[in-house]
Amino acid sequence: MTVSSSLRLLLVNDTDRPMAQLHAALTAAGYLVIAQAQGAAELLQLVDSQAPDIIIIDTESPSRDTLEQLALMGHAAPRPVVMFAEQGGLATIQAAVSAGVTAYVVDQVAASRLAPIIDMARVKFEEDARLKKRLAEVEEQLADRKLIERAKGILMERRQLTEAEAYALLRSQAMQSGLRLAELSRQLINSSKLLG
Amino acid sequence: MTAPASLYKLKLGFVALTDCAALVAAHKLGLDRELGLQFSLQRQPSWSAVRDKLMNGQLDAAHALYGLVYGMQLGMGSPQCDMAILMTLNQNGQGISLAPALAQQYRQGMSLREISRDLGRPLMLAHTFPTGTHAMWLYYWLAAQGIHPLRDARCVVIPPAQMDEAMQDGLLDGFCAGQPWHALAQRHAVASLVADSAAIWPDHPEKVVACRRELVQQQPALASRLVQTLLLASHWLDQPENHAQAAAWLAEDDYLAMSAALILQHWESTDVSPLRFCAAGQVNYPYLSDGLWFLQQYRRWGMWQGEGEQNVVAAVNQTALYQQAAQACGIPLPPDGMRHSVLMDGCHWPEQMDSAPSVGAALQFTH
Repeated sequence: MTVSSSLRLLLVNDTDRPMAQLHAALTAAGYLVIAQAQGAAELLQLVDSQAPDIIIIDTESPSRDTLEQLALMGHAAPRPVVMFAEQGGLATIQAAVSAGVTAYVVDQVAASRLAPIIDMARVKFEEDARLKKRLAEVEEQLADRKLIERAKGILMERRQLTEAEAYALLRSQAMQSGLRLAELSRQLINSSKLLG
Repeated sequence: MTAPASLYKLKLGFVALTDCAALVAAHKLGLDRELGLQFSLQRQPSWSAVRDKLMNGQLDAAHALYGLVYGMQLGMGSPQCDMAILMTLNQNGQGISLAPALAQQYRQGMSLREISRDLGRPLMLAHTFPTGTHAMWLYYWLAAQGIHPLRDARCVVIPPAQMDEAMQDGLLDGFCAGQPWHALAQRHAVASLVADSAAIWPDHPEKVVACRRELVQQQPALASRLVQTLLLASHWLDQPENHAQAAAWLAEDDYLAMSAALILQHWESTDVSPLRFCAAGQVNYPYLSDGLWFLQQYRRWGMWQGEGEQNVVAAVNQTALYQQAAQACGIPLPPDGMRHSVLMDGCHWPEQMDSAPSVGAALQFTH
Protein backbone atom coordinates (compact mmCIF):
# COMPACT_ATOMS: atom_id res chain seq x y z
CA MET A 1 0.00 0.00 0.00
CA THR A 2 1.50 3.31 -0.99
CA VAL A 3 1.11 6.58 0.87
CA SER A 4 -0.64 7.96 -2.16
CA SER A 5 -3.81 6.01 -1.51
CA SER A 6 -4.64 8.35 1.35
CA LEU A 7 -4.20 11.48 -0.73
CA ARG A 8 -7.26 13.66 -1.19
CA LEU A 9 -7.64 15.03 -4.69
CA LEU A 10 -9.62 17.95 -6.06
CA LEU A 11 -10.58 17.86 -9.74
CA VAL A 12 -11.24 21.09 -11.62
CA ASN A 13 -13.82 20.23 -14.21
CA ASP A 14 -14.50 23.30 -16.33
CA THR A 15 -13.46 22.39 -19.86
CA ASP A 16 -14.95 20.20 -22.56
CA ARG A 17 -12.59 17.36 -21.85
CA PRO A 18 -14.01 14.44 -19.93
CA MET A 19 -12.70 14.66 -16.42
CA ALA A 20 -15.15 11.95 -15.45
CA GLN A 21 -12.91 9.38 -17.13
CA LEU A 22 -10.01 10.60 -15.09
CA HIS A 23 -12.17 10.48 -12.00
CA ALA A 24 -12.82 6.78 -12.59
CA ALA A 25 -9.15 6.06 -13.24
CA LEU A 26 -8.11 7.89 -10.08
CA THR A 27 -10.65 6.09 -7.97
CA ALA A 28 -9.51 2.77 -9.42
CA ALA A 29 -5.94 3.68 -8.51
CA GLY A 30 -7.04 4.10 -4.90
CA TYR A 31 -7.27 7.87 -4.61
CA LEU A 32 -9.97 9.75 -2.82
CA VAL A 33 -11.47 12.36 -5.10
CA ILE A 34 -13.04 14.68 -2.53
CA ALA A 35 -14.66 17.16 -4.87
CA GLN A 36 -14.98 18.51 -8.38
CA ALA A 37 -14.94 22.28 -8.91
CA GLN A 38 -17.02 23.56 -11.81
CA GLY A 39 -15.34 26.96 -11.89
CA ALA A 40 -12.85 29.31 -10.29
CA ALA A 41 -15.07 30.55 -7.45
CA GLU A 42 -15.90 27.01 -6.41
CA LEU A 43 -12.23 26.09 -6.69
CA LEU A 44 -11.32 28.86 -4.24
CA GLN A 45 -14.00 27.77 -1.80
CA LEU A 46 -12.98 24.12 -1.98
CA VAL A 47 -9.29 24.90 -1.50
CA ASP A 48 -10.27 26.82 1.65
CA SER A 49 -12.81 24.40 3.06
CA GLN A 50 -11.45 21.01 1.98
CA ALA A 51 -7.68 21.59 1.90
CA PRO A 52 -7.04 19.04 -0.84
CA ASP A 53 -3.60 17.42 -1.02
CA ILE A 54 -3.45 17.71 -4.79
CA ILE A 55 -5.37 19.65 -7.42
CA ILE A 56 -5.84 18.23 -10.89
CA ILE A 57 -6.65 20.68 -13.67
CA ASP A 58 -6.78 20.80 -17.46
CA THR A 59 -4.11 22.92 -19.20
CA GLU A 60 -6.97 24.62 -21.08
CA SER A 61 -8.96 25.45 -17.95
CA PRO A 62 -9.74 29.15 -17.45
CA SER A 63 -9.32 28.57 -13.71
CA ARG A 64 -5.57 28.14 -14.05
CA ASP A 65 -5.07 31.87 -13.38
CA THR A 66 -6.83 31.40 -10.05
CA LEU A 67 -4.26 28.80 -9.01
CA GLU A 68 -1.45 31.08 -10.20
CA GLN A 69 -2.59 33.71 -7.72
CA LEU A 70 -2.74 31.18 -4.86
CA ALA A 71 0.73 29.92 -5.68
CA LEU A 72 2.41 33.29 -6.22
CA MET A 73 0.77 35.31 -3.47
CA GLY A 74 0.56 32.48 -0.95
CA HIS A 75 -2.89 33.45 0.33
CA ALA A 76 -3.64 29.82 0.98
CA ALA A 77 -0.93 27.25 1.43
CA PRO A 78 -0.18 26.35 -2.17
CA ARG A 79 -1.02 22.80 -3.21
CA PRO A 80 0.77 20.65 -5.68
CA VAL A 81 -1.10 20.93 -8.93
CA VAL A 82 -1.21 18.23 -11.54
CA MET A 83 -2.04 19.28 -15.06
CA PHE A 84 -4.10 17.32 -17.45
CA ALA A 85 -2.95 18.01 -20.99
CA GLU A 86 -3.78 16.87 -24.48
CA GLN A 87 -1.34 14.54 -26.20
CA GLY A 88 -0.23 17.47 -28.35
CA GLY A 89 0.35 19.54 -25.24
CA LEU A 90 3.64 17.83 -24.41
CA ALA A 91 5.51 21.02 -25.25
CA THR A 92 3.43 22.79 -22.63
CA ILE A 93 4.40 20.15 -20.14
CA GLN A 94 8.11 20.59 -20.80
CA ALA A 95 8.14 24.36 -20.66
CA ALA A 96 5.54 25.45 -18.20
CA VAL A 97 6.26 24.05 -14.81
CA SER A 98 5.27 27.10 -12.81
CA ALA A 99 5.46 27.84 -9.11
CA GLY A 100 2.58 25.71 -7.98
CA VAL A 101 2.63 23.21 -10.78
CA THR A 102 4.68 20.14 -10.14
CA ALA A 103 3.60 17.60 -12.70
CA TYR A 104 1.44 17.10 -15.72
CA VAL A 105 -0.76 14.20 -16.63
CA VAL A 106 -1.19 13.38 -20.27
CA ASP A 107 -4.59 12.59 -21.72
CA GLN A 108 -5.77 8.97 -21.86
CA VAL A 109 -3.25 7.94 -19.31
CA ALA A 110 -3.57 4.46 -17.87
CA ALA A 111 -4.62 4.28 -14.26
CA SER A 112 -1.43 2.42 -13.48
CA ARG A 113 0.61 5.41 -14.62
CA LEU A 114 -1.28 7.92 -12.54
CA ALA A 115 0.01 6.82 -9.16
CA PRO A 116 3.70 7.43 -9.87
CA ILE A 117 2.95 10.80 -11.47
CA ILE A 118 0.88 11.97 -8.55
CA ASP A 119 3.41 10.65 -6.05
CA MET A 120 6.18 12.42 -7.93
CA ALA A 121 4.17 15.63 -7.86
CA ARG A 122 3.70 15.36 -4.13
CA VAL A 123 7.33 14.55 -3.38
CA LYS A 124 8.61 17.34 -5.60
CA PHE A 125 6.15 19.77 -4.05
CA GLU A 126 7.24 18.88 -0.54
CA GLU A 127 10.90 19.27 -1.51
CA ASP A 128 10.19 22.69 -3.01
CA ALA A 129 8.23 23.71 0.06
CA ARG A 130 11.08 22.59 2.32
CA LEU A 131 13.61 24.53 0.27
CA LYS A 132 11.44 27.64 0.31
CA LYS A 133 10.99 27.37 4.06
CA ARG A 134 14.71 26.96 4.60
CA LEU A 135 15.46 29.93 2.42
CA ALA A 136 12.97 32.02 4.36
CA GLU A 137 14.58 30.93 7.64
CA VAL A 138 18.04 31.83 6.44
CA GLU A 139 16.78 35.23 5.30
CA GLU A 140 15.12 35.81 8.65
CA GLN A 141 18.30 34.84 10.52
CA LEU A 142 20.26 37.30 8.43
CA ALA A 143 17.76 40.07 9.08
CA ASP A 144 17.81 39.24 12.82
CA ARG A 145 21.57 39.39 12.90
CA LYS A 146 21.57 42.81 11.27
CA LEU A 147 19.11 44.12 13.86
CA ILE A 148 21.16 42.76 16.75
CA GLU A 149 24.34 44.28 15.32
CA ARG A 150 22.70 47.69 15.04
CA ALA A 151 21.26 47.49 18.56
CA LYS A 152 24.68 46.53 19.92
CA GLY A 153 26.21 49.50 18.12
CA ILE A 154 23.71 51.86 19.69
CA LEU A 155 24.38 50.53 23.19
CA MET A 156 28.14 50.70 22.70
CA GLU A 157 27.91 54.30 21.63
CA ARG A 158 25.35 55.52 24.16
CA ARG A 159 26.66 53.69 27.19
CA GLN A 160 30.31 53.44 26.27
CA LEU A 161 30.27 49.62 26.43
CA THR A 162 32.48 47.09 24.76
CA GLU A 163 30.88 44.83 22.18
CA ALA A 164 30.79 41.90 24.58
CA GLU A 165 29.21 44.01 27.32
CA ALA A 166 26.60 45.40 24.96
CA TYR A 167 25.68 41.90 23.82
CA ALA A 168 25.47 40.60 27.40
CA LEU A 169 23.21 43.51 28.34
CA LEU A 170 20.92 42.88 25.38
CA ARG A 171 20.70 39.17 26.20
CA SER A 172 19.86 39.65 29.84
CA GLN A 173 17.27 42.31 29.03
CA ALA A 174 15.70 40.02 26.41
CA MET A 175 15.46 37.20 28.92
CA GLN A 176 13.97 39.42 31.60
CA SER A 177 11.32 40.82 29.30
CA GLY A 178 10.64 37.52 27.56
CA LEU A 179 11.39 38.93 24.12
CA ARG A 180 13.37 37.47 21.26
CA LEU A 181 16.76 39.10 20.98
CA ALA A 182 15.92 40.39 17.50
CA GLU A 183 12.60 41.81 18.65
CA LEU A 184 14.18 43.62 21.58
CA SER A 185 16.83 44.97 19.19
CA ARG A 186 14.12 46.25 16.86
CA GLN A 187 12.42 48.05 19.75
CA LEU A 188 15.69 49.55 20.89
CA ILE A 189 16.49 50.80 17.38
CA ASN A 190 13.01 52.34 17.05
CA SER A 191 13.16 54.07 20.44
CA SER A 192 16.63 55.38 19.78
CA LYS A 193 15.29 56.99 16.59
CA LEU A 194 12.60 58.71 18.65
CA LEU A 195 15.07 59.91 21.24
CA GLY A 196 17.34 61.20 18.49
CA MET B 1 -0.93 41.34 -54.48
CA THR B 2 1.62 39.01 -52.95
CA ALA B 3 1.14 35.31 -53.58
CA PRO B 4 -0.20 33.60 -50.43
CA ALA B 5 2.72 31.15 -50.45
CA SER B 6 5.14 33.94 -49.59
CA LEU B 7 3.17 35.09 -46.56
CA TYR B 8 4.86 34.55 -43.23
CA LYS B 9 2.49 32.82 -40.88
CA LEU B 10 2.39 34.22 -37.35
CA LYS B 11 0.59 32.47 -34.51
CA LEU B 12 -0.89 35.21 -32.33
CA GLY B 13 -2.61 34.56 -29.02
CA PHE B 14 -5.36 36.71 -27.56
CA VAL B 15 -7.82 36.64 -24.69
CA ALA B 16 -11.49 37.49 -25.27
CA LEU B 17 -11.46 41.19 -24.37
CA THR B 18 -12.38 44.34 -26.29
CA ASP B 19 -8.77 45.45 -26.23
CA CYS B 20 -7.58 42.62 -28.48
CA ALA B 21 -9.30 44.64 -31.25
CA ALA B 22 -6.14 45.66 -33.09
CA LEU B 23 -5.25 42.02 -33.81
CA VAL B 24 -8.73 41.24 -35.10
CA ALA B 25 -9.04 44.44 -37.14
CA ALA B 26 -5.58 44.00 -38.71
CA HIS B 27 -6.57 40.52 -39.86
CA LYS B 28 -10.07 41.46 -41.03
CA LEU B 29 -8.79 44.50 -42.92
CA GLY B 30 -6.12 42.38 -44.60
CA LEU B 31 -3.34 44.61 -43.24
CA ASP B 32 -1.40 41.51 -42.25
CA ARG B 33 -1.31 40.22 -45.84
CA GLU B 34 -0.38 43.65 -47.19
CA LEU B 35 2.73 43.50 -45.06
CA GLY B 36 3.54 39.91 -46.03
CA LEU B 37 2.14 38.30 -42.90
CA GLN B 38 -0.65 35.88 -42.27
CA PHE B 39 -2.11 36.12 -38.78
CA SER B 40 -3.38 32.95 -37.22
CA LEU B 41 -5.41 34.30 -34.29
CA GLN B 42 -5.75 31.84 -31.45
CA ARG B 43 -8.07 32.54 -28.54
CA GLN B 44 -6.62 31.46 -25.20
CA PRO B 45 -8.58 30.25 -22.18
CA SER B 46 -6.35 31.91 -19.56
CA TRP B 47 -3.37 34.22 -19.16
CA SER B 48 -1.45 31.23 -17.81
CA ALA B 49 -2.03 29.55 -21.17
CA VAL B 50 -0.81 32.67 -23.03
CA ARG B 51 2.33 32.63 -20.92
CA ASP B 52 3.03 28.91 -21.35
CA LYS B 53 2.48 29.00 -25.10
CA LEU B 54 4.69 32.08 -25.57
CA MET B 55 7.35 30.33 -23.59
CA ASN B 56 7.29 27.05 -25.48
CA GLY B 57 6.83 28.53 -28.95
CA GLN B 58 3.24 27.47 -29.58
CA LEU B 59 2.57 31.19 -30.00
CA ASP B 60 4.90 33.63 -31.78
CA ALA B 61 3.43 36.68 -30.07
CA ALA B 62 0.34 37.61 -28.07
CA HIS B 63 -2.06 40.25 -26.80
CA ALA B 64 -0.93 40.27 -23.18
CA LEU B 65 -1.42 42.09 -19.89
CA TYR B 66 1.44 44.56 -19.47
CA GLY B 67 2.47 42.96 -16.20
CA LEU B 68 2.33 39.40 -17.48
CA VAL B 69 5.37 40.11 -19.65
CA TYR B 70 7.35 41.45 -16.69
CA GLY B 71 6.23 38.48 -14.59
CA MET B 72 7.82 36.19 -17.19
CA GLN B 73 10.94 38.34 -17.48
CA LEU B 74 11.45 38.19 -13.71
CA GLY B 75 10.46 34.54 -13.35
CA MET B 76 7.52 35.30 -11.07
CA GLY B 77 5.33 32.21 -11.00
CA SER B 78 7.03 30.66 -14.00
CA PRO B 79 10.50 29.86 -15.26
CA GLN B 80 12.39 33.02 -16.23
CA CYS B 81 12.21 33.84 -19.93
CA ASP B 82 13.73 36.85 -21.70
CA MET B 83 10.78 38.74 -23.08
CA ALA B 84 10.04 41.67 -25.36
CA ILE B 85 7.27 44.27 -25.38
CA LEU B 86 6.93 45.41 -28.98
CA MET B 87 4.26 48.07 -28.46
CA THR B 88 1.36 49.07 -26.24
CA LEU B 89 -1.99 48.06 -27.73
CA ASN B 90 -4.29 50.31 -25.75
CA GLN B 91 -4.72 52.70 -22.87
CA ASN B 92 -7.65 52.87 -20.43
CA GLY B 93 -10.89 50.91 -20.85
CA GLN B 94 -10.74 48.80 -17.65
CA GLY B 95 -12.67 49.30 -14.46
CA ILE B 96 -13.73 48.29 -10.97
CA SER B 97 -17.30 47.22 -10.23
CA LEU B 98 -18.91 46.60 -6.86
CA ALA B 99 -22.05 44.71 -5.92
CA PRO B 100 -25.03 47.07 -6.49
CA ALA B 101 -25.74 47.70 -2.78
CA LEU B 102 -22.09 48.44 -2.02
CA ALA B 103 -21.75 50.58 -5.14
CA GLN B 104 -24.67 52.69 -3.94
CA GLN B 105 -23.10 53.16 -0.50
CA TYR B 106 -19.80 54.07 -2.15
CA ARG B 107 -21.44 56.66 -4.40
CA GLN B 108 -23.22 58.16 -1.40
CA GLY B 109 -19.84 58.86 0.12
CA MET B 110 -19.17 55.89 2.37
CA SER B 111 -15.49 54.99 2.40
CA LEU B 112 -14.32 51.49 1.52
CA ARG B 113 -13.19 51.09 5.13
CA GLU B 114 -16.69 51.91 6.37
CA ILE B 115 -18.27 49.57 3.85
CA SER B 116 -15.95 46.78 4.92
CA ARG B 117 -16.62 47.51 8.61
CA ASP B 118 -20.37 47.35 8.01
CA LEU B 119 -19.95 44.00 6.29
CA GLY B 120 -18.00 42.80 9.30
CA ARG B 121 -15.32 41.23 7.14
CA PRO B 122 -12.66 42.13 4.59
CA LEU B 123 -13.91 42.95 1.09
CA MET B 124 -13.67 39.97 -1.27
CA LEU B 125 -12.43 41.30 -4.59
CA ALA B 126 -11.30 39.63 -7.79
CA HIS B 127 -8.81 40.51 -10.49
CA THR B 128 -7.46 38.49 -13.39
CA PHE B 129 -3.80 37.52 -12.93
CA PRO B 130 -1.29 37.90 -10.07
CA THR B 131 1.26 40.03 -11.95
CA GLY B 132 -1.28 41.60 -14.31
CA THR B 133 -2.62 45.07 -14.83
CA HIS B 134 -5.97 44.50 -13.09
CA ALA B 135 -4.21 43.32 -9.93
CA MET B 136 -2.09 46.48 -9.93
CA TRP B 137 -5.06 48.83 -10.62
CA LEU B 138 -7.09 47.18 -7.87
CA TYR B 139 -4.23 47.26 -5.34
CA TYR B 140 -3.50 50.91 -6.14
CA TRP B 141 -7.17 51.91 -5.88
CA LEU B 142 -7.54 50.16 -2.52
CA ALA B 143 -4.30 51.52 -1.07
CA ALA B 144 -5.14 55.08 -2.13
CA GLN B 145 -8.29 54.71 -0.01
CA GLY B 146 -6.59 53.33 3.07
CA ILE B 147 -7.16 49.62 2.45
CA HIS B 148 -4.07 47.43 2.30
CA PRO B 149 -4.86 45.05 -0.56
CA LEU B 150 -3.00 42.11 0.92
CA ARG B 151 -3.94 42.57 4.58
CA ASP B 152 -7.29 44.39 4.79
CA ALA B 153 -9.00 42.80 1.78
CA ARG B 154 -9.05 39.40 0.19
CA CYS B 155 -7.96 39.59 -3.44
CA VAL B 156 -8.44 36.51 -5.58
CA VAL B 157 -8.31 35.68 -9.26
CA ILE B 158 -11.46 34.81 -11.18
CA PRO B 159 -11.43 34.48 -14.99
CA PRO B 160 -13.28 37.52 -16.45
CA ALA B 161 -15.95 35.37 -18.07
CA GLN B 162 -16.83 33.96 -14.64
CA MET B 163 -16.97 37.32 -12.77
CA ASP B 164 -20.61 37.79 -13.63
CA GLU B 165 -21.61 34.43 -12.15
CA ALA B 166 -19.42 34.86 -9.06
CA MET B 167 -21.10 38.24 -8.40
CA GLN B 168 -24.50 36.69 -8.96
CA ASP B 169 -23.75 33.96 -6.42
CA GLY B 170 -22.64 36.57 -3.89
CA LEU B 171 -19.11 35.16 -3.71
CA LEU B 172 -17.53 38.49 -4.60
CA ASP B 173 -18.05 42.06 -3.41
CA GLY B 174 -16.49 43.43 -6.56
CA PHE B 175 -13.93 42.94 -9.32
CA CYS B 176 -11.40 44.68 -11.52
CA ALA B 177 -11.27 43.54 -15.15
CA GLY B 178 -11.51 44.71 -18.73
CA GLN B 179 -14.53 45.22 -20.91
CA PRO B 180 -17.02 43.95 -21.94
CA TRP B 181 -17.24 42.08 -18.64
CA HIS B 182 -18.41 45.07 -16.61
CA ALA B 183 -21.04 45.84 -19.22
CA LEU B 184 -22.27 42.25 -18.96
CA ALA B 185 -22.41 42.28 -15.15
CA GLN B 186 -24.20 45.61 -15.27
CA ARG B 187 -26.76 44.29 -17.73
CA HIS B 188 -27.49 41.42 -15.33
CA ALA B 189 -27.68 43.92 -12.47
CA VAL B 190 -25.13 41.99 -10.40
CA ALA B 191 -22.46 44.72 -10.35
CA SER B 192 -22.09 48.42 -10.96
CA LEU B 193 -19.01 50.27 -12.20
CA VAL B 194 -17.60 52.58 -9.52
CA ALA B 195 -14.19 53.41 -10.96
CA ASP B 196 -12.91 53.66 -14.46
CA SER B 197 -9.26 52.56 -14.64
CA ALA B 198 -8.42 55.96 -16.15
CA ALA B 199 -9.53 57.50 -12.84
CA ILE B 200 -6.72 55.55 -11.15
CA TRP B 201 -4.07 56.43 -13.73
CA PRO B 202 -5.22 58.60 -16.64
CA ASP B 203 -4.06 57.04 -19.92
CA HIS B 204 -2.47 54.05 -18.21
CA PRO B 205 -0.95 51.36 -20.41
CA GLU B 206 -2.99 48.17 -20.57
CA LYS B 207 -2.35 45.40 -23.08
CA VAL B 208 0.84 45.03 -25.08
CA VAL B 209 2.17 42.89 -27.90
CA ALA B 210 4.54 40.44 -26.26
CA CYS B 211 6.95 37.89 -27.68
CA ARG B 212 10.10 36.12 -26.63
CA ARG B 213 13.12 38.37 -27.04
CA GLU B 214 14.85 35.89 -29.30
CA LEU B 215 12.19 36.53 -31.96
CA VAL B 216 13.18 40.22 -32.04
CA GLN B 217 16.87 39.33 -32.10
CA GLN B 218 16.60 36.65 -34.77
CA GLN B 219 13.91 38.18 -36.98
CA PRO B 220 13.88 41.95 -36.45
CA ALA B 221 12.31 42.63 -39.86
CA LEU B 222 9.45 40.29 -39.06
CA ALA B 223 8.89 41.90 -35.65
CA SER B 224 8.89 45.31 -37.32
CA ARG B 225 6.26 44.24 -39.84
CA LEU B 226 4.09 42.93 -36.99
CA VAL B 227 4.33 46.30 -35.23
CA GLN B 228 3.54 48.21 -38.45
CA THR B 229 0.50 46.04 -39.13
CA LEU B 230 -0.87 46.58 -35.64
CA LEU B 231 -0.10 50.31 -35.67
CA LEU B 232 -2.12 50.76 -38.85
CA ALA B 233 -4.97 48.74 -37.32
CA SER B 234 -4.79 50.79 -34.10
CA HIS B 235 -5.03 54.01 -36.07
CA TRP B 236 -8.06 52.65 -37.94
CA LEU B 237 -9.70 51.63 -34.64
CA ASP B 238 -9.46 55.12 -33.21
CA GLN B 239 -11.70 56.57 -35.93
CA PRO B 240 -15.21 56.72 -34.38
CA GLU B 241 -16.84 55.76 -37.69
CA ASN B 242 -15.06 52.39 -37.54
CA HIS B 243 -16.16 51.39 -34.04
CA ALA B 244 -19.36 49.68 -35.14
CA GLN B 245 -17.55 47.56 -37.71
CA ALA B 246 -14.81 46.64 -35.23
CA ALA B 247 -17.39 45.68 -32.60
CA ALA B 248 -19.23 43.53 -35.14
CA TRP B 249 -16.01 41.67 -35.93
CA LEU B 250 -15.13 41.24 -32.25
CA ALA B 251 -18.61 39.89 -31.61
CA GLU B 252 -18.00 36.90 -33.90
CA ASP B 253 -17.75 33.42 -32.42
CA ASP B 254 -14.02 33.12 -33.12
CA TYR B 255 -13.26 36.18 -31.01
CA LEU B 256 -15.47 37.37 -28.13
CA ALA B 257 -18.65 35.49 -29.06
CA MET B 258 -20.79 38.22 -27.53
CA SER B 259 -23.23 40.89 -28.67
CA ALA B 260 -21.73 43.80 -30.59
CA ALA B 261 -24.00 46.24 -28.76
CA LEU B 262 -22.50 45.19 -25.43
CA ILE B 263 -18.98 45.65 -26.77
CA LEU B 264 -19.82 49.10 -28.11
CA GLN B 265 -21.53 50.24 -24.92
CA HIS B 266 -18.38 51.03 -22.99
CA TRP B 267 -16.24 51.93 -25.98
CA GLU B 268 -18.60 54.70 -26.98
CA SER B 269 -18.78 56.16 -23.50
CA THR B 270 -17.94 59.83 -23.21
CA ASP B 271 -15.50 59.52 -20.34
CA VAL B 272 -12.68 61.97 -20.06
CA SER B 273 -10.13 59.26 -20.81
CA PRO B 274 -11.86 56.59 -22.87
CA LEU B 275 -10.42 53.39 -24.25
CA ARG B 276 -8.02 54.37 -26.99
CA PHE B 277 -5.83 52.40 -29.34
CA CYS B 278 -3.53 54.89 -31.05
CA ALA B 279 -4.00 58.65 -30.48
CA ALA B 280 -1.46 59.35 -33.21
CA GLY B 281 1.01 56.93 -31.64
CA GLN B 282 0.85 58.38 -28.12
CA VAL B 283 -0.70 55.10 -26.95
CA ASN B 284 1.64 52.68 -28.65
CA TYR B 285 5.18 53.77 -27.79
CA PRO B 286 6.65 51.26 -25.29
CA TYR B 287 7.49 53.95 -22.73
CA LEU B 288 10.27 53.00 -20.33
CA SER B 289 8.43 54.85 -17.54
CA ASP B 290 5.46 52.48 -17.92
CA GLY B 291 7.65 49.41 -17.44
CA LEU B 292 9.36 50.98 -14.44
CA TRP B 293 5.96 51.59 -12.81
CA PHE B 294 5.14 47.87 -12.80
CA LEU B 295 8.48 47.00 -11.23
CA GLN B 296 7.92 49.64 -8.57
CA GLN B 297 4.50 48.19 -7.76
CA TYR B 298 5.86 44.63 -7.56
CA ARG B 299 8.43 45.90 -5.10
CA ARG B 300 5.78 47.81 -3.15
CA TRP B 301 3.66 44.70 -2.67
CA GLY B 302 6.57 42.45 -1.77
CA MET B 303 6.38 40.48 -5.01
CA TRP B 304 9.87 41.35 -6.21
CA GLN B 305 13.07 42.33 -4.42
CA GLY B 306 15.45 42.42 -7.37
CA GLU B 307 17.61 45.25 -8.62
CA GLY B 308 18.56 47.00 -11.84
CA GLU B 309 15.07 48.12 -12.92
CA GLN B 310 16.44 50.46 -15.58
CA ASN B 311 18.32 47.65 -17.28
CA VAL B 312 15.41 45.24 -17.09
CA VAL B 313 13.04 47.74 -18.71
CA ALA B 314 15.53 48.85 -21.36
CA ALA B 315 15.93 45.20 -22.39
CA VAL B 316 12.21 44.37 -22.45
CA ASN B 317 10.66 47.49 -24.03
CA GLN B 318 11.75 47.51 -27.68
CA THR B 319 11.95 51.26 -28.21
CA ALA B 320 14.41 51.14 -31.12
CA LEU B 321 12.41 48.57 -33.04
CA TYR B 322 9.22 50.51 -32.36
CA GLN B 323 10.71 53.81 -33.58
CA GLN B 324 11.83 52.24 -36.82
CA ALA B 325 8.44 50.58 -37.38
CA ALA B 326 6.45 53.72 -36.50
CA GLN B 327 8.53 55.82 -38.88
CA ALA B 328 8.09 53.24 -41.63
CA CYS B 329 4.31 53.57 -41.46
CA GLY B 330 4.07 57.27 -40.68
CA ILE B 331 2.95 57.13 -37.05
CA PRO B 332 4.43 60.07 -35.06
CA LEU B 333 6.84 59.40 -32.19
CA PRO B 334 6.50 60.95 -28.73
CA PRO B 335 9.26 63.38 -27.73
CA ASP B 336 10.61 61.16 -24.99
CA GLY B 337 10.82 57.53 -23.86
CA MET B 338 9.61 58.63 -20.45
CA ARG B 339 6.20 60.19 -19.97
CA HIS B 340 4.82 62.01 -16.99
CA SER B 341 1.64 60.94 -15.17
CA VAL B 342 -0.22 61.97 -12.04
CA LEU B 343 -2.10 59.12 -10.40
CA MET B 344 -5.31 59.21 -8.35
CA ASP B 345 -3.54 59.87 -5.05
CA GLY B 346 -1.64 62.83 -6.45
CA CYS B 347 1.61 60.91 -6.80
CA HIS B 348 3.72 61.68 -9.82
CA TRP B 349 5.22 59.05 -12.07
CA PRO B 350 8.10 59.03 -12.58
CA GLU B 351 8.65 60.36 -9.08
CA GLN B 352 9.89 63.92 -9.22
CA MET B 353 13.16 64.42 -7.45
CA ASP B 354 12.69 68.16 -6.95
CA SER B 355 9.09 68.08 -5.70
CA ALA B 356 8.12 68.16 -2.04
CA PRO B 357 8.04 64.74 -0.39
CA SER B 358 4.72 63.13 -1.14
CA VAL B 359 2.38 62.47 1.73
CA GLY B 360 -0.06 60.69 -0.54
CA ALA B 361 -1.54 57.32 0.25
CA ALA B 362 0.88 55.65 -2.11
CA LEU B 363 3.53 55.98 0.53
CA GLN B 364 1.21 54.98 3.30
CA PHE B 365 1.46 51.33 2.44
CA THR B 366 4.22 49.10 1.46
CA HIS B 367 4.24 45.38 1.82
